[in-house]
Amino acid sequence: MLTIAEGQRVRTDSVAPPRGSLFRRRNAISYLLIAPALVLSIVIVVIPGILTLLLAFTNWSGIGLNIKLVGLQNFQDILADPVFATSLMNNLKWLVLFLTIPAIIGLITATLLLKRKRMRTLYQVIYLMPYVLAPVVNALIWMSIIYNPNGGVVGALGLPAPTASTSGSLYAAAGVDMWHFWGFLTVVYLGAMRQTPIDQVEAAIVDGANGWKVFRHVYLPSIRPTLLLMGVMTVIFSFLAFDYVFLLTQGGPAHSSEVMGTYAYAFAFSSFEFGKAAAVGLIMSFFGLLASCLYTWISRRDLK
Amino acid sequence: MNRRRMRLVVAAVCASAALAMSGCGASPSAGADRQTLQLWFWGAPPQQQQTMQKVLVDGFNNSQSKYTLEVTYNNAVDKNIQVALSADKGPDVVYGSGPAFASAYAAQGKLEDMTPYAKKYGWADRILAPMYESGTVNGKLYSLPNSIEDIGVFYNKKVLAKLGLAVPKTYADFVGAMDKAAAAGMYSSVTGDQGWKPVNQNYVSLFMSQIAGGKTMYNALQGKIPWTDPSIVKSVEDSAAFYQKGYLGGKDYATLNFDQSVQLLSQEKSPFFIGPTLAFQFASNYFNDAKGNTDDLGYMPFPTVNPDLPSPYFTLGTTASLSINAASKNKDGAAEVIDYMMSDSFAKDMNKSWPGYWAVPLKNFDLNADDYTGLSKPFVTAMKNTIQGVNDGNYGFFAGTFFPPATATAFSDVDSVWLGQTSATQFLSTIDSTFKTEKAQGLVPPVPEPKH
Repeated sequence: MLTIAEGQRVRTDSVAPPRGSLFRRRNAISYLLIAPALVLSIVIVVIPGILTLLLAFTNWSGIGLNIKLVGLQNFQDILADPVFATSLMNNLKWLVLFLTIPAIIGLITATLLLKRKRMRTLYQVIYLMPYVLAPVVNALIWMSIIYNPNGGVVGALGLPAPTASTSGSLYAAAGVDMWHFWGFLTVVYLGAMRQTPIDQVEAAIVDGANGWKVFRHVYLPSIRPTLLLMGVMTVIFSFLAFDYVFLLTQGGPAHSSEVMGTYAYAFAFSSFEFGKAAAVGLIMSFFGLLASCLYTWISRRDLK
Repeated sequence: MNRRRMRLVVAAVCASAALAMSGCGASPSAGADRQTLQLWFWGAPPQQQQTMQKVLVDGFNNSQSKYTLEVTYNNAVDKNIQVALSADKGPDVVYGSGPAFASAYAAQGKLEDMTPYAKKYGWADRILAPMYESGTVNGKLYSLPNSIEDIGVFYNKKVLAKLGLAVPKTYADFVGAMDKAAAAGMYSSVTGDQGWKPVNQNYVSLFMSQIAGGKTMYNALQGKIPWTDPSIVKSVEDSAAFYQKGYLGGKDYATLNFDQSVQLLSQEKSPFFIGPTLAFQFASNYFNDAKGNTDDLGYMPFPTVNPDLPSPYFTLGTTASLSINAASKNKDGAAEVIDYMMSDSFAKDMNKSWPGYWAVPLKNFDLNADDYTGLSKPFVTAMKNTIQGVNDGNYGFFAGTFFPPATATAFSDVDSVWLGQTSATQFLSTIDSTFKTEKAQGLVPPVPEPKH
């Protein structure tokens, strides 16, 4: 008589991987199927990534092959430049803004939509609209209709254009980016909330939990992985911020809205200092890497 | 998949590959025995593209039977050219931001030495010496400017009349007129750097030319004096005072661009727009015969600020530069295109419908303003005066044209001084350090020496 353990062993043996030519052929097909994605990643991500890493230690102008190793000079120059400190600080402000305002608005809207059965899809489409429009279109809309001192909302109210002030320019650019982003978060959060087991929600209601308590103790723990993933993506995107700042303020006036993306761009395409641009790029990636590591660590901890 | 289907798929893949490869081949012949020449140009508006097609493309293609010129328009042309040249690709005729940028490409061997073509076509005899020299690196010619420009003052005659003012003759009159406009609830003047931060270079160049003078700037570019020289520091400080008094678009400087500024000028929101002569091309959208207000627009050189400098005194710049790609397979053809563009007849035809961009730097800019209509008339007059000023040696330098790239970019940051974020001395110390690095790399283009 076979014990359970022996039975399991027997079963396991019976589904052991095929050996010989069939196994090799299956392996080859598997490699062949992942090859396009792998080659694409190597060509588009890995090789440029390695080159950026190397170029950060050179004085490459971005043209030709006259390259000289300069050691840590690029990093020393950047760290000594007060504009870099401003850029880094602005990226951190950007991060704080994006981790709070669009996330809170997104959660509130998703919660409200959750209870709405009719027209929910239409609302989602409307909220998602700014997200699917090209940044240049969104920026133009805001520049000409809202921030324009001659004919825009700001002008009609007799207010100064926020993009023109050193204290308001970063927030003016961040405002437009958040306006385009929160609708996306709403849709993502709503999707996650709808996955919450309905019996848990009903049990909480039967137990006398009010709306806030149901959200706090049922929905929020349920969508925690989504919140975490969106948070990490926000951290990465915040250090890569470029398009709205470039389109609306070019990092100005007087570097007041400069972020590391625009700072690196000026080195690469205005000053012919690709080495320094690569060094700034590495620093930007470093923060993204930190966020990714944090995400991995939290995810693993949750699995334990 | 059955065998028949498999064959079909293989045939389709082969056909697609053949089609794709045909697109990747060497530059195709546009016609029998004709070689195609490429020129990448900025994304000019459709009307100006039509002028370009008619005067340059059709004109050149009809003038000879060996080449067919094709022009591609793109607003990111500078970046595209930078990427293409670094990969030994790109257009045959290289359109660039000016001699300083061309010298950076030349230093990397990306541009062809045009000296033999200069000899063949006699360019040195035809082109203004300072403009010709600015395109040389170590005695070899690498670029020619397509047009010269000055930074001056556009004014609306109607607004001046409303304010009871005459066209200002002196700097004091000019400032007084701006104060009167502000008191009347208008902008003192309109301009701005929205969407293009290098616009700041115009105004810092203007003040350095008008206060320190071209000779001082020349000495700084030669490395004879530092950029922290007291007269240059004073220029930057005076530019800051000018900005802070609201004379550069007031509080809306960062939200206006040239096009909007000229529009505001036409809407009588200000008597003045301070800007480069290339803005004539934007002005023609708002001051034209169809609107019946062409004669309302006037242009004058910026009134001389420093009484020790002659009047008028110009801030010399170029709108763009033309070079030959070292990787081009049709260098002779590219030279032929450039030669075609450096001609009197080309300048005459382009300026008929596209004022502002084509003051070809010819020694004898033999264009008669009376032959022109619309804004081409004041533009041709302005350019003839500027060329006279260049011949007399009364000019300073526009940073975007004559300064090496990183130094010019650093000058775009002058708004930090204007907005009180840094001092003029600190700002110029950074410029000095950047400039020394670029000078050591041989990136400073040769500049013509002004008389004053």
